[in-house]
Amino acid sequence: MDAKSRILSRIRQALKGMPKALLPEHPHPASPQDPLALFLKRLAENGAEGHLLDEEGVRRLLADLAQGLPGAAYGKGVPSAFRLLPEIPPEEAPLGVSRALFAVAETGTVALSSEDGRRTQLLPPVHLVLVEEKRVYPSLLEALLDLKSLPSALGLHSGPSKSADIGQVMVKGVHGPGRLVVAVLQGSW
Amino acid sequence: MQAKAKLYPKEAARLLREKPGVREAVTGATLHFEEGRKKAYGEMDAEALRERAKRVKDHLLTHLDQYLELAEKRLREKGVQVHWAEGPEEAHRTLREIVARHGVKRAVKAKSMLTEELGVNPLLESLGVEVFETDLGEYLIQLLGEPPSHIVGPAIHLSLPEIQRLFHGRFGTPLDASPEALAAVARKVLREAFLTAELGISGANFLVAETGTLALMENEGNIRLSTSLPKVHVAFVGIEKLLPRLADLALFLPLTARAATGQRLSTYVSLIQGPAKEGEEGPEEVHVVLVDHGRTTLLHDLEAWEVLRCLRCGACLNACPVYRQTGGHPYGYVYSGPIGAVLDPGLLGLEEAYPLPYASTLCGACYEACPVKIPIPKLLLTWRKRAVERGLAPTWERGAIQAFAKVMESPTLYRLFSKALRGLPLPQDLLPLLRAWTEGRGPLKPSPKPFHLLWQELKE
Ligand code: SF4
Repeated sequence: MDAKSRILSRIRQALKGMPKALLPEHPHPASPQDPLALFLKRLAENGAEGHLLDEEGVRRLLADLAQGLPGAAYGKGVPSAFRLLPEIPPEEAPLGVSRALFAVAETGTVALSSEDGRRTQLLPPVHLVLVEEKRVYPSLLEALLDLKSLPSALGLHSGPSKSADIGQVMVKGVHGPGRLVVAVLQGSW
Repeated sequence: MQAKAKLYPKEAARLLREKPGVREAVTGATLHFEEGRKKAYGEMDAEALRERAKRVKDHLLTHLDQYLELAEKRLREKGVQVHWAEGPEEAHRTLREIVARHGVKRAVKAKSMLTEELGVNPLLESLGVEVFETDLGEYLIQLLGEPPSHIVGPAIHLSLPEIQRLFHGRFGTPLDASPEALAAVARKVLREAFLTAELGISGANFLVAETGTLALMENEGNIRLSTSLPKVHVAFVGIEKLLPRLADLALFLPLTARAATGQRLSTYVSLIQGPAKEGEEGPEEVHVVLVDHGRTTLLHDLEAWEVLRCLRCGACLNACPVYRQTGGHPYGYVYSGPIGAVLDPGLLGLEEAYPLPYASTLCGACYEACPVKIPIPKLLLTWRKRAVERGLAPTWERGAIQAFAKVMESPTLYRLFSKALRGLPLPQDLLPLLRAWTEGRGPLKPSPKPFHLLWQELKE
């Protein structure tokens, strides 16, 4: 017998003597009044920066972040209108710009697909994430229940990379970006 | 990992004697985590969420065979290669094959308790593979050659000056380098490793059966890097770590983060569905190794199986006054603190883990903290009862406990006995744990007045 059959048969043996427990239904999500406001508040609490902007505002924010930089790394889904700087590889880029699949207000989270490009989301020290207003879910439960298909990897990012492993002192930007900026785009692109 | 749980009382005493700084470091860190948890639990209906999480896990465990088969099916559909391992031997065989097939020279590792159980690092080193622990805390203890001392914060027992000395010797940084400067040095070494390793190794916080999704939680970004950059990713998953549905993550991810560190969600969560698709970045191969290593034995144990709900959040360690005294090392196995005291006997056998069920005051703080309501105090008593039955604990203990109960039930007897006992020397040698304790501190002396008298005086 292989390991799988041995393990499964031991489990079946054990379960014979046990009453089966029922699976609880998912609760009804308690949606907040204003998910966008909550999202921005939670981002700030997580140590990230959040902005609610129109297209022109996003371009201004980008121009601000781009000042003095030689280039940026871009996720595949970032529209050309927002590619203000020359594209350079994420290993060298001081700024990464990605487009989120969705965001979650309750936890201040952006969800980033592997289809957009993982290095851009992780290697540059500053990470700007663009997300459409209509893609901001009130809760994680609603977002997960709504997901029709999953990319090969989905990263939920809720703030800058941090660690308190050295003498319990909080250090930012340990392996991932030390600064996370999120631009919620009003309307759609 | 070689279990040294038997040595618990001796090791605890030695640590208190030789490294008094550990108590301060561990107490500081755990109190901080514990404060975070209390605040985070206070923000929500913690009781209802803990009860729901417990019920989901119980459902999962009582249908474990079905969910394992479903998870395997879903993983395979997404192109993940699934392996099964009863223990280290089979897990090692799988890893050895992967290392050989891909000519792996370097591996980056995300922190995982199961890989500690399986001894993955020593195996890789014996195969000539350079292994980098990429969690900052785990990297520190790897440099020191120590095992983790806490499930979530493996290096909480180290003080800043110790780390400064370590890095000074290793990388030539100044002895007063700031935490930021030290982190920057580690970041540089590890960034290079992420970019050059052929293999990424991780555990899993959860494996969703419905979708075959691996869920990994962290704050640094090292797990995302370890599972994104190398061309091969191997995840070791304990068979009890499954969840039925994708949406169950909406309950378990935040609840685990709150219990562990008081965060609403950890900074990074990776939800992994398989190798990269055509034209996409990411590993070309993903392997999942489903590991038993004692879990099925626990499932058979109707008095002890509830520990299988454990999410490895570390909240019970943070809440435990006994754990705070010494940190995790004296427990002598991967899992320390209250969960270690009830999980290790199940995984290793009670004979190997014997004194651990006694490493507790039975104060119940661990149960209050646990996000899946594992009745740790009850399980501690179960293991103690078995220790007495199997002749591991001194036989007088059973009689002593019965006598104790009698005395405690009668106020008159209690007064009489407490008065008599106050006059006697305490039998320090009789009590196995007390003895180790007093070795480092001198004998315990009873208070000259009983508590109820002191209390009365205080009130007057
Ligand atoms: S027993 Fe409970 S509190 Fe302790 S690590 Fe496991 S889940 Fe967390």
